[in-house]
Amino acid sequence: MVQVAVFHAARLCFQVPRRESCGRNELPLNHLRETVNLSSIDWLIMLVYFVFVLGIGFALKRYMRTSNDFFLAGRSIPAWVCGLAFISANLGAQEVIGMGASGAKYGIVTSHFYWIGAIPAMVFVGVFMMPFYYGSKARSVPEYLRLRFDEKTRAVNAFTFAIMTVFSSGISMYAMALLIQTLGLFHGIIPDQYIFHVSVLLSAAIVLGYIFLGGLTSAIYNEVLQFFLIVAAFAPLVWIGLKNVGGWQGIKHTLPVTMTRSWHGMEHASTNSLGVEWVGLAMGLGFVLSFGYWCTDFLVVQRALAADSEESARKVPLIAAIPKMFFPFLVILPGLIAVSVTSHMAQPAAVPVQHPQALTAAHQALPEGPGRPHGLIPVKTDPRSGREEFDTDGNAVYNYDLAITVMMLHFFPTGILGLGLTALLASFMSGMAGNVTAFNTVWTYDIYQAYINKKGTDAHYLWMGRVATVGGILLSIGAAYAATGFNNIMDALQLIFSLVNAPLFATFLLGMFWKRTTGHGAFTGLIAGTAAALVHHGLTLPDGALSGLHGGWIKVLHHYPSDMAQNFWTAIFAFSVNFVVTVLVSLVTKPRRESDLVGLVYSLTPQPVEAHLSWWQKPATLGIGVLVLLVALNLIFA
Amino acid sequence: MGLDIRVPLGLIFLITGGMMSVYGLITRNSGIYEKSMGINLNLWWGVAMLIFGGIMFFFGRQQKWQDDPVTPRPWERGEGPRH
Repeated sequence: MVQVAVFHAARLCFQVPRRESCGRNELPLNHLRETVNLSSIDWLIMLVYFVFVLGIGFALKRYMRTSNDFFLAGRSIPAWVCGLAFISANLGAQEVIGMGASGAKYGIVTSHFYWIGAIPAMVFVGVFMMPFYYGSKARSVPEYLRLRFDEKTRAVNAFTFAIMTVFSSGISMYAMALLIQTLGLFHGIIPDQYIFHVSVLLSAAIVLGYIFLGGLTSAIYNEVLQFFLIVAAFAPLVWIGLKNVGGWQGIKHTLPVTMTRSWHGMEHASTNSLGVEWVGLAMGLGFVLSFGYWCTDFLVVQRALAADSEESARKVPLIAAIPKMFFPFLVILPGLIAVSVTSHMAQPAAVPVQHPQALTAAHQALPEGPGRPHGLIPVKTDPRSGREEFDTDGNAVYNYDLAITVMMLHFFPTGILGLGLTALLASFMSGMAGNVTAFNTVWTYDIYQAYINKKGTDAHYLWMGRVATVGGILLSIGAAYAATGFNNIMDALQLIFSLVNAPLFATFLLGMFWKRTTGHGAFTGLIAGTAAALVHHGLTLPDGALSGLHGGWIKVLHHYPSDMAQNFWTAIFAFSVNFVVTVLVSLVTKPRRESDLVGLVYSLTPQPVEAHLSWWQKPATLGIGVLVLLVALNLIFA
Repeated sequence: MGLDIRVPLGLIFLITGGMMSVYGLITRNSGIYEKSMGINLNLWWGVAMLIFGGIMFFFGRQQKWQDDPVTPRPWERGEGPRH
């Protein structure tokens, strides 16, 4: 449902790309230790990328004959292309930047957001759920809810999803403009005070251009380009970085053990850097949040619906899972390298003031204690005064969001630096484009066609899709500026997204696998689940936080050790309440006739025919292979 | 879809990789590679990208139907003539 639900967990808890951490848009350009010196070769590489992005849009324009072509890529894309788009759509730069930042701050434990936080859910959606999404001929996830349940359940899903995609796309745009400004990319070319505005408008214009022309196909193709560009830019970065710090052994030598082992100290919240125990991690992140995102969010499911057959559609998430599993080595590892680089350990102006009373046992488990290496990470500077910031204990505050960019500036000579920046820009833009294509489809099919104009011709809906693309981009620009104007609006929105998203998976699970589930049950359950999330959030508070946006705004009944623990348990409560309420209400309401549910419910749908496939071509085999790899990775980095 | 993604993907890697390797050749004795620990990243990584781009472009061009927008797409087959 939410743009990046799993990542929301990351953002809510890690507080990663928070605006405070990046500063306002009057951020001084001089606070990076290494200056950005781009030469014409760097600009040329970026230019080539932009020419291709728009070129793909123009090349695809003539194939956009029907609304099916525009919204679902004519259901004609090969599985591997959809698979790469499936993960790229999620791999916006917020995530690239955010995961690098978390890697620098918390260590390899961040990879849980990729491993148990995505892979099991991707296998599940491919093997078990895709036959209903693709096979039911639903054109969107809300439309599946209407086919399976009723109009009101679809309406709830369609409206919340549409609003969230617009805001997510706006956040992406905002983050991109902020990064361009921080790097001073256009410094000296356009006046500094216009850089932010020019960046927003330019990115908006380019994304608008290629989606308007080529629809979903354009977005998917550009996501594939982005995928390969990210790999091409990050692989040499990791390689040269590892070489510099003496390989993985060197990192292990430099950093505390909590940062280099993913399951270390997971039995108790106070002994690991995430501040959450394994039950909360496995159930909250591994089950509720990750299944809620990867199995129900139309942003990713749309990529699978574009596949050329049901068989391909089922393989899409499974193919996606393989690179996804290894992405921590590309996006999280640079963060760890950035803090391990010792040659640049020049201590910032203020030596951290030792506060003995702060050194409690819990404090030592967190990698944020004094004496922890910070490597290349720059100290955060106050946007207004330009001075370095210190926390209440007198320790310098580090700006982890810049981990990836300082790595590039440190290790990349001009030339390949252009490639690195292109990859970052590409991931921002496809983060935006993914949301815009999901928005225009849900708007046109689930809101406009469902409630405003039911009898339009196909050409009319194709036209509407293009109008919705323009509308979605304009709303995103509005959201991007809202983010610059109000201090807490993005934190508040992310909170609301996570509350709405948390219970969602229970609805789909019961709908697909229990034929007795009724529309009234699903609707009541969804509302009750969201309400439960809201109440749970209002009654609990993470340690050290003040009542308000962080929770406890009703009455504090329970303290959680961290934001993350609170967030995971909120999701667990929301899911459970939705599950129970849906079952209870379904039992007392009238079920639909079984003949109406063929193709929509597991027990009433013929199993997909796989007789023509060899054993190794079957989705289940692929799924098992993926899970075996996942276990192996976790054992290696346990 | 009539355009095979491997064609533009191959082309962008060919062009970018080509530019990087040429630039790497020109600057092979320059001081800019102190950053990357003395390794000429532009040249070597540029060549790697060239090879990848070449392979993608080659396989993308193998598809015969790519410039033929009237070939019916999977969901159109069996619907009779269009337009």
